[in-house]
Amino acid sequence: MIFSELYSVYYHTVAKIIEAAFDPETTEKDLQRCIVEAAFSESVFTILPALKSGKWPLLNEDLSPALMHKPTMPLTNLEKRWLKAIAEDPRVKLFGIEFPDLDQVDPMFTREDYKIYDQYGDGDPFEDEKYIKHFRLMLAAIQNNRPVGITMVNRHGKEMRVRFYPKGFEYSVKDDKIRIIATGCRFKQFNLGRIVNCDFYNGDGSWRQKPQVERRKALTLLITDERNALERVMMHFAHFEKQAEHLEDGKYILRLKYYENDETEIVIRVLSFGPYVKVLEPQSFVNLIKERLISQKSCELK
Amino acid sequence: MAYNELIKNFEKVRAYMREFYVYGFKSRTEYDAKSARTYDDERRRLESWLGDYMRFTQTPEGKNVFLSVDSRITRKNPFYKAWKAKSFTDGDITLHFAIFDILHDPETRKTLAELINEIDERLSSTVTFDESTLRKKLKEYAEEGIIQIEKEGRKVLYRRSPDTEISSLTDIIDFFSEVAPCGVVGSFLQDRQQEHPELFSFKHHYITQAMDSDIMATLFEAIRGHYYIIIDNLGKHSNEIRSIRLVPLKIYISAQNGRQNLLAFHEKANRLNSYRLDYISKIQIEDETCEKFDALRDALSKAEAHMWGVNCKWNIKHVEHVEFEIKIEDDEQFIVHRLEREKRCGRVEKIDKNHYRYIADVFDTTEMLPWIRTFISRITRLNFSNRTAENKFKVDIQEMYRMYGISGGDKHDI
Repeated sequence: MIFSELYSVYYHTVAKIIEAAFDPETTEKDLQRCIVEAAFSESVFTILPALKSGKWPLLNEDLSPALMHKPTMPLTNLEKRWLKAIAEDPRVKLFGIEFPDLDQVDPMFTREDYKIYDQYGDGDPFEDEKYIKHFRLMLAAIQNNRPVGITMVNRHGKEMRVRFYPKGFEYSVKDDKIRIIATGCRFKQFNLGRIVNCDFYNGDGSWRQKPQVERRKALTLLITDERNALERVMMHFAHFEKQAEHLEDGKYILRLKYYENDETEIVIRVLSFGPYVKVLEPQSFVNLIKERLISQKSCELK
Repeated sequence: MAYNELIKNFEKVRAYMREFYVYGFKSRTEYDAKSARTYDDERRRLESWLGDYMRFTQTPEGKNVFLSVDSRITRKNPFYKAWKAKSFTDGDITLHFAIFDILHDPETRKTLAELINEIDERLSSTVTFDESTLRKKLKEYAEEGIIQIEKEGRKVLYRRSPDTEISSLTDIIDFFSEVAPCGVVGSFLQDRQQEHPELFSFKHHYITQAMDSDIMATLFEAIRGHYYIIIDNLGKHSNEIRSIRLVPLKIYISAQNGRQNLLAFHEKANRLNSYRLDYISKIQIEDETCEKFDALRDALSKAEAHMWGVNCKWNIKHVEHVEFEIKIEDDEQFIVHRLEREKRCGRVEKIDKNHYRYIADVFDTTEMLPWIRTFISRITRLNFSNRTAENKFKVDIQEMYRMYGISGGDKHDI
């Protein structure tokens, strides 16, 4: 059962409060801070009053713990079964970390039990030794705040050498690729799979260069709710910052924000909805759609 | 009943979360299925859990509430919070901490009577628990795997399960909490860990799956055990909830449209059908197992060669032929790469230096149309055995020309 109080914010917060209460210096304000940091916005009206009033008799009147040990709880079967399932995922090898003994545990699922059916076919080689080595070097560089020097093949097939500070990873489940977020160079990110060689960078040099902040652009779409288009569009664009408005007669407006670098992708995603989605603004985006339609017209598809 | 930010039943809030996040254009008065009070309570709860992502807009119909999340920036799925809002009684929480305080290490074993006494001592008898309440709680915890029950002669002893060391798994858990099925369980594990820098962000990240976590976990349980299930399912074309008996075979997750589907054998109709997880409101796992589960899975695997989306048939002879051709410029080889990496079945053929053909036999041509439309600007020929789908595709393109004022002449203002 996933929906259980064992995993609840309240249990978790009360555990933190009791732990904090073992420190004799802890004040009521400190306990309140535990709630603000760990629980929901209105929990502050419930948790501490319940502990102070003795409704949950886990603290004494002086706010010292009524218990003898700092609270802990073993992993549940659900948690172990999920861990076992991910332990069998090939991407786990990237991290090179030994899992705890889960031999007696049945995985919650295996790779035969589910399929991501529309993932692109040229995903990263997660089990390739060189790829794993590059990932781990980047991970170590991020954790130790060290620069790296890489040789990579750019999208035009040319080798290039770059040095930068890796700051994090971005994973796309659709592309099944990992990108490294960079700073200290003019590029914002690099595909891990395109790296040919990499090592820590020990040379001197200035690190003044910063990637340009990626601009976000607004897009306004008109949806005609035929053939379930409204639901399909709203689900499809659900992961963007967005706002929808109901007009009349089955028409809806969707305003969303996208990153400029993703513009071509957004154009084709809009095109995929055919006549059920029309771009209203900005005109520059309307023109991108029109260009494609004009080219299509010249194909003289019969 | 007085407002409480915790809830007993997740199903109630699931619909509101979807409505606020996926759609978000309804005003309070449009939520006519529920009472205004219910609406106010659910909105307040969501605001309490997800306040950072809650937005409001004023329309002539009233105030609209919606959730807006740029999942590329948000490193943790905010909807997981809703799974941590289960209500409980004062006795539940008190017993929980008292039990694990007494059974603070796996070596400590206690009888029920010993536990009762020690709980009374620890809590200064401000609250007392009877044996049956405690026994029930311990049994429940044994089922969750956190308490072990042992018998020594006639004595029943309780101890905590051994701890599992997971402190080295922080990055792994961070990553898989967002990308693996039932990632909310990873989020529970994250809650147990020390604060640490989060290294991963996620693109094309459909966080709506979080709302269907329990449905998915129950389906996995049935799939792993080869059990029959009965689901309460909202029909695709009707607004009715129907109970259907199925053999669940596999879950199909989309990375491009946020949907998750169960592929299952409908024994009565002798069909392989797909069911959206967000349309399933209840699942009951039966005791009966399906003896031909492996054979059904094999049949499904064979059928996958002809599935573009989630529509599937037993007989792989019942397929529709799809062909389309595109033109590319000399420097547009990346378009051919797109065909190769985005196709899920079928094959790509080179016609000449500037023309390529995609060929496939699929169960349902209409599932492919959105993808084929992404090649608009370069489609030179279509040949679908499903003529209705082909004609529809062409009519749609004509309609797009009309929508954007592209007609007749060759010159167009851009």
